[in-house]
Amino acid sequence: MIKKFFAWLKQPLGLIAVGIVFLALFSAAVYGIYTTQQSPEQPIQFPHKTHVAFGIQCLYCHPGANKGPAAGLPSQTKCWGCHNQIVKTRDSALLAPLKDAVLSGQSIQWVPVAMVPDFVQFNHRAHIAAGKNCEDCHGDLSQMTIYENPQVLNMGWCINCHKQSAGDDQALLTKLTDCGTCHY
Amino acid sequence: MSQQFSRRDFLKLAGLGAATTAVLTGCGPSSRYVKREPYQQMPEYNAIGQSTYYATTCRECAAGCGLILRTFQGRALKVEGNANHPLNLGKTCARGQATLQGLYNPDRVTDPVKRASRGSDSTQPMDWDTAVQTVADALTNYKPNEIAFLMGTAPDHLFDLVTDLANAAGMNAPIRFGALSMFEARATLSKAAESLFGQAGMPSFDLGGADVVVSFGANFLETWLSPVSYTREYARMRRGNPKQRGYFIQFESRMSQTASKADEWIPLRPGTEGLVALALGRLVAEAKGGSLPRAFSGVDPAEVAAAADVSLETLEHVAHMIVSAHTPIAVPGGSALGQSNGQTVAEAVLALNALVENVGKSGGVFLSPLSPNQDAYHQPASAKEMQDFVNQMASGKFKVLFIHGVNPVFELPKSIDFKGALSGVEQVISFATFPDETALEADYVFPDHQGLESWGYQRVVTGTSQQVISGAQPVVTPYFNTRATADVLIAAAQLAGGKFAATLPFKDEVEFLNSKVSALMGEADGSFTAPDPVTFMAYFQQYGGWWNKSDVRVSAGNSNPLNRNIAGIEADFVGSGEYFFLPFVSPSLAETGANKPTLQELPDPTTTVMWNTWIEMNPETAKELGIENDDVVKVVSDTGEVEASVYLYPAIRPDVIAMPFGQGHTAYGQFAAGRGVNPSDLLGAHFNEAGDLAFAGTKVTIQKTGKKRQLSRKEGLIGVYEFRPE
Amino acid sequence: MSTNLELPMFTNNSEAELGGRWGMVIDKDLCTGCQACVAACSMENNVPFVGEEDAGYGRSMQWIRIERLWEGLDGDYREVKMTDYQPLMCQQCHNAPCEPVCPVYASVHSMSEDLNLQVYNRCVGTRYCANNCPYQARVFNWRDYADYRETNTADNDPRWSVFQNQLNPDVTVRRRGVMEKCTFCIQRIHQAENQAKAEGREVRDGEFTTACAQACPANAIVFGRIDDPESMVSLAAETSRGSRLHEELRTMPRVTYLAGGA
Repeated sequence: MIKKFFAWLKQPLGLIAVGIVFLALFSAAVYGIYTTQQSPEQPIQFPHKTHVAFGIQCLYCHPGANKGPAAGLPSQTKCWGCHNQIVKTRDSALLAPLKDAVLSGQSIQWVPVAMVPDFVQFNHRAHIAAGKNCEDCHGDLSQMTIYENPQVLNMGWCINCHKQSAGDDQALLTKLTDCGTCHY
Repeated sequence: MSQQFSRRDFLKLAGLGAATTAVLTGCGPSSRYVKREPYQQMPEYNAIGQSTYYATTCRECAAGCGLILRTFQGRALKVEGNANHPLNLGKTCARGQATLQGLYNPDRVTDPVKRASRGSDSTQPMDWDTAVQTVADALTNYKPNEIAFLMGTAPDHLFDLVTDLANAAGMNAPIRFGALSMFEARATLSKAAESLFGQAGMPSFDLGGADVVVSFGANFLETWLSPVSYTREYARMRRGNPKQRGYFIQFESRMSQTASKADEWIPLRPGTEGLVALALGRLVAEAKGGSLPRAFSGVDPAEVAAAADVSLETLEHVAHMIVSAHTPIAVPGGSALGQSNGQTVAEAVLALNALVENVGKSGGVFLSPLSPNQDAYHQPASAKEMQDFVNQMASGKFKVLFIHGVNPVFELPKSIDFKGALSGVEQVISFATFPDETALEADYVFPDHQGLESWGYQRVVTGTSQQVISGAQPVVTPYFNTRATADVLIAAAQLAGGKFAATLPFKDEVEFLNSKVSALMGEADGSFTAPDPVTFMAYFQQYGGWWNKSDVRVSAGNSNPLNRNIAGIEADFVGSGEYFFLPFVSPSLAETGANKPTLQELPDPTTTVMWNTWIEMNPETAKELGIENDDVVKVVSDTGEVEASVYLYPAIRPDVIAMPFGQGHTAYGQFAAGRGVNPSDLLGAHFNEAGDLAFAGTKVTIQKTGKKRQLSRKEGLIGVYEFRPE
Repeated sequence: MSTNLELPMFTNNSEAELGGRWGMVIDKDLCTGCQACVAACSMENNVPFVGEEDAGYGRSMQWIRIERLWEGLDGDYREVKMTDYQPLMCQQCHNAPCEPVCPVYASVHSMSEDLNLQVYNRCVGTRYCANNCPYQARVFNWRDYADYRETNTADNDPRWSVFQNQLNPDVTVRRRGVMEKCTFCIQRIHQAENQAKAEGREVRDGEFTTACAQACPANAIVFGRIDDPESMVSLAAETSRGSRLHEELRTMPRVTYLAGGA
């Protein structure tokens, strides 16, 4: 049966069929990969660039970055503390989800974008202490609306930077390329 | 051709396509992204990504160790000991560590409920307003002397609140009880101290300062009184003095976990502990010279050795160790007190201490100090007092029974029929956190917060040289729809009005606590001072309690405690069986551990058995009876019978059968229910002179069942284990 | 037949490597077998429970076990003695037998901390490392124990997830098919090192300790820097009572046991 099937594939109609199947699979694959690269849907279209343009420091809203592992998200009362005082934003339709959340006491459900897998123990503080700035990893937020990763946050990218930072310091290189530094 | 492309092949191809799609979409956003919720309003004492630590008190037993809880974004993550707390100095036991599994446990009572009928699983959820109204009605609809409160062993703020309420309204004084206090024979200890030294109180034994410790069944490394502090003192005894290692001798018919750490474990015939103590006293007194004190004059060491099945040389050797020691100490406890002559045993052992003149000295016996806000030592109810209480219940004296923090249906021997006596009570209201056996028999369950969600304080009864009032505060917001029992009572008292409202004129539990705690402000020698009550309360919560700085242990008074007779008698045993029955409290489960899976999976220290009940039997006995490891046997006493698997335990007398207490629940959550058996089903209502249960005073018979049930154990059965649960 | 223990991978390379970094001393004379360390470790490191049946098969996941053996079983019951309790966890060998057998380099040595690591995301579950460990210190996730619903398949009740509130975010939650073992609480090591670095100093002795040592009521476990001769752990290891397990295998374990008795 299989032999006959392959024989059938070799004739023109078969080749066309193979082509169609191949194209279908290929486009499905392309679409699949494309979807993995899309930013997730956020409850609020948060414009980072507007906030950066006002001169607000990263640490004002993400104060954990130089103190511990997580940079943190601002509590919604912190957002509303400013926006409540600005007439334009207080009644803006775009900020209605924030207003609703604050008034109803419900949490806003953000979807984190800069994420590492569960088995990676990432710590912001060590990176800030080593002299890295936010934009070194997160890109230029003054150009972004919703945050997008400027590169894929994979281990090769991490290790690359670790190696460069260590330079000729063998002890530091050992520390920075040690599995136990990130995985435990 | 195409018709030869069968449906089967098409399905294969289609399946391949579907798998490809699944793989590709599996990498898609829906599985990659999670949701993250920021605080709606972040507490100002919290910082992003930083843990917050709270000092509180452990509620797993009545000892009252101080804890520091690591919390992270509103969740409790890890129990650590409070290093400043004088009782445990930063240490915890396994049960303290697992208290988080009591907080985050799927089986908790989540809402106030009304039970369809007693013993039934079906319940009707209520709202808290109705619940409070129910309590208020119970307080007002009945005469004060028809209302009774039954509470846990710990002398805590709730006990004080209920005592105040009971005193003002003329209700029955609240009764405290717990399985641990039953097996510790607390009444026996304090009554023996009173009879010998002329002063009531809980004796405390300064093991750390002693160089020879002779223990008569005291399981101070397991669950006894205050295990963390006694374990620390044990370590100090062993290695605290770099020049000399302390020596430890244990008389016990079975090698318990405590006995396993002894340099010499001396198995004796159960019931002869008092005789052995007196004989040792006589040998020591003779070796020291001078006139023989009256207390020891009535025994003949050779006869005692024969009765106890111990060689005379062994007794002489132990006496020699005591005589040549600088600071010897003798400790009575455990099964030695749980016998018909328990109080005599305790007196004989305390007399041994008086003989070596260590009373009130470093390395000797003290009386635990009372707390500054305490008028006298209120001991928890003995089993005899519980039986009287049960009789009163059965006779209909109580119309309303409030139960908090204790599970007597499970803990009391079946022969003291608590469950049956409940039918004499019109209304039973339980404040249980867990659906335990007693809550199952209650008409209403109004769940209290778990310990880590509650406010409070607790007096530390023994285990430290200071007066300690350990503070508790919630470390997380309540996880379920529970309410503090103190709040419920205060609200109900307000509703009830009259004397009730006048006694508890508080807004809530915290205001009540403030009123009690701020009374400590005037105490001299406190661990901290504060200019005003608000600051004082803040410090109280921050440090995890209040204690004084200096050693205030009481040196017991009587000048000549040895000039009296101590009856040199053997204990009586009940039952016609040929084996002595020795129940002991499971070191890892104790009274509240069975609902915590991590504790269930902790191997028992001596047998390494997990998750179940076992029967310890000497291999010789088993060989005679034709019993092997894991054979299920029936243990029969005059009052009951249980079935469990046999563990051949080499370090137990051949005429003794031992069983751990802690399993055998019929309720209490999915990890406890239906697991193992309860040895207290075998115990009769027999008491010692002080009214404590003679739990080690039963004789039993063993019957083979022909069944086999593998015990799950940690010890070396890897590779050869064939697990065959029933 | 004599065994050649002088294989190149099991010989000492230099004196410096003998020094080590983190170490532990366990006083068996003080250990009372109370299991507080086991419970504390489980709570700190997200160690799940496995249930009665799997525990019976020896699959319990605890990173420490407390061993005890009997002596004098042939004689009278009065002569029976229990050996001292011996808490046994990963010995963090310098020459670790688990490391060379891993085909995917999941069991690797941390050069900077001188610890044995288990890299969960690399592990494919061959269990070679556990077979080669002379201390039997490694445990394997036979099921998704950390997903507590898995331990009780009959009960797919969503309320089971309440246990997950207690998971420590500093430690990876392990999935099925992954080997794991004691890490010397490496998350605490990193936290203390980060803190010290931020304050521009070295980690102070006793500044932090492992969960087991922190809980131990008898203070039988001491943890610290063994390359610092003044540290508590170095001083404790100095006594004549000290020995290391299976020293003859040249594994160079970092845990010293102090014998009991006089």
